[in-house]
Amino acid sequence: MPIFLLIRVLAAVLLLQSDPNEDILKHAIGLQQTGDTDGAIDAYRRYLAARPNSPLALSNLGAAYSRSGRYLDAIPQYKLALKLQPNPAVEMNLGLAYYKSGQTALAAATFERVHKAVPDQLQPTLLLADCWLAMGRNRNVTELLAPLADQRQDDLAIAYLFGTALVRDNQIARGQTIIDRILRNGDSAESRLLLGTAKLSAGEFPEALADLSKAVELNPKLPDVYTYYGQALVRTGDAAGATEAFRKALEANPNDYASNLQLAVLLKDEQKYDEARACLQRALVVRPGELRARYHLATIRLQEGSAEDARAELEAIVKEEPAFTEAHVALATIYYRLKRKPDGDRERAIVQKLNAAAQLKQQQGLNIK
Amino acid sequence: MSLAAFFCLFALRAQGGSPEDCAPCHRKETARFADAGMTRALQPGGGNRRLQTRLGLYSYEVNGSDYTVSDGTGILKFPLAWTFGQGSTGQTWLYQRDNRWYESRASYYGTLGALDLTIGQQSITPHSLAEAAGRLIPVSEARQCFSCHSTGPLAGIQCERCHGASEAHLSDPAKLPRKLARLTTEEQSDFCGECHRTWAEISLKGPRGIQNVRFQPYRLAGSKCYDATDARIRCTACHDPHAPLETNEANYDARCLACHAQRSTNACPIAKKLCVSCHMPKLDLPGAHKSFTDHRIRIVKANESYPD
Repeated sequence: MPIFLLIRVLAAVLLLQSDPNEDILKHAIGLQQTGDTDGAIDAYRRYLAARPNSPLALSNLGAAYSRSGRYLDAIPQYKLALKLQPNPAVEMNLGLAYYKSGQTALAAATFERVHKAVPDQLQPTLLLADCWLAMGRNRNVTELLAPLADQRQDDLAIAYLFGTALVRDNQIARGQTIIDRILRNGDSAESRLLLGTAKLSAGEFPEALADLSKAVELNPKLPDVYTYYGQALVRTGDAAGATEAFRKALEANPNDYASNLQLAVLLKDEQKYDEARACLQRALVVRPGELRARYHLATIRLQEGSAEDARAELEAIVKEEPAFTEAHVALATIYYRLKRKPDGDRERAIVQKLNAAAQLKQQQGLNIK
Repeated sequence: MSLAAFFCLFALRAQGGSPEDCAPCHRKETARFADAGMTRALQPGGGNRRLQTRLGLYSYEVNGSDYTVSDGTGILKFPLAWTFGQGSTGQTWLYQRDNRWYESRASYYGTLGALDLTIGQQSITPHSLAEAAGRLIPVSEARQCFSCHSTGPLAGIQCERCHGASEAHLSDPAKLPRKLARLTTEEQSDFCGECHRTWAEISLKGPRGIQNVRFQPYRLAGSKCYDATDARIRCTACHDPHAPLETNEANYDARCLACHAQRSTNACPIAKKLCVSCHMPKLDLPGAHKSFTDHRIRIVKANESYPD
């Protein structure tokens, strides 16, 4: 994804006066233009020490930090600049800094503001869709992209994002039409990935594995391809292969929520708790407060013997989501270990009730997630 | 560890933890354990019987370690690598094809004394002779099979599988393996449930309904009298893991009365003996050709649905 750089250089240069501070700014911009990012950062900081309220210097410093990969340093600069002077381009850069630093929820909120300010711009719209996909907000993505997908039927990027969201939202039939559109462009990694994810959703795991394996072969750099390949491997019982696939997914995108979560589960099974914990913490940066990641963190604490810590977190989780069966199961185990039989009995009764309700729904043919 | 390396271990001899290693000091336990069914949970090869059956379009023959499947026009033959199960309930075989593990579609059932469809494969319709031979099992499932039916490099359940750390104990008797007697009721349920399935596992992953009747720790936990903190209801209160399964129902009465006799002189208004025959009914598991003792202890009501 190209970085949306903002260096309003020419306009700024014209406005510069012969003030010594302005000379520093001029120098900073020059350094930035010639690619001396470290020198530019130093010069902007000197300038800002004297003129802390310059939106131009603040946003340029942010851009220089971003260019150096220092997104966490860039973010406060962009925010200050925006406070002084709202500007969709600077807001876009802020969104990119959040996006690149894995703060997907904040990036989404920022791209959403940019999208509302400049709805005709495709890039913020696609980035917003990408963030929402990462956050599991598939329905939002379908609603965002449906008009665009109609207008730009040949745009494979839109088709891919839209089709993915439809499939993940279990709108398989609508997704299939998009998949067909992509398939008309020949056998591609994108089409195989979409077919594979659709088959995963339908529970056709060996078939999904075949498509996803082909997608990996055709384009191992396709975003998310290793994530879904890993999921298919998990579903077909190849934990070692899945671990490797998720690691590859995270090499390409360390902030991939699904890969972090699923790798953590596999690592937890192998009792590699430290590494599993790191994955879950990254997952929580992408989706703050997400219950499943918090649940696995709590169960790691339980495995490590911190039953009290785990109890507190699991109690908080079931308070937020009373129908979270796994959390009730873990809580029952903890209460018994803590010799709190009435609480353990209560949790078991809740689990039995939840399972009975799920069975009943299943018998009634309802779709239960 | 790769799958190949994992299974290569089975070619090695254990360095410790077998009954022979432990017998010099623990003669009584190892002598009794020699007759326990768990020791024969896994055996190399296919046994020494000749069995034949027909399942739908396909005919099956197990002759020693040769497994043959035919559809009348073609024949497939595989050497059976491992026999799972001691045989009183049933035996299923694993064979390899293209370096991958397959579970035989035909299994031996003790009550029939014959082959029939392997439990769990009822819903699979084979579309070819290869599929009719057996089900490809994922690596993780193969690991689970061997994990519960063997003891590292040793076939069957041996001392090391439960007690662990036998190597250290053999080299220094002061280094004691874990004392399973010290486990609480809940810990013991979880421990035995590693293979016999815990309440947590079945609650989360199923199976639901009568299919879970053979998972005793799960069923026991659903009993009204189950108390996770009371040692009188833990697995070893009724079962001696070193001995063959006690099949005389009368011998379990004392276990029930350990609690119920204290509450009332008349523990049960119906009978004074053979408690388990009513309160732990034997239920048929479809496809298993065997009834299993339901460990969900309860007052069984007429025409009740399976309490899950």
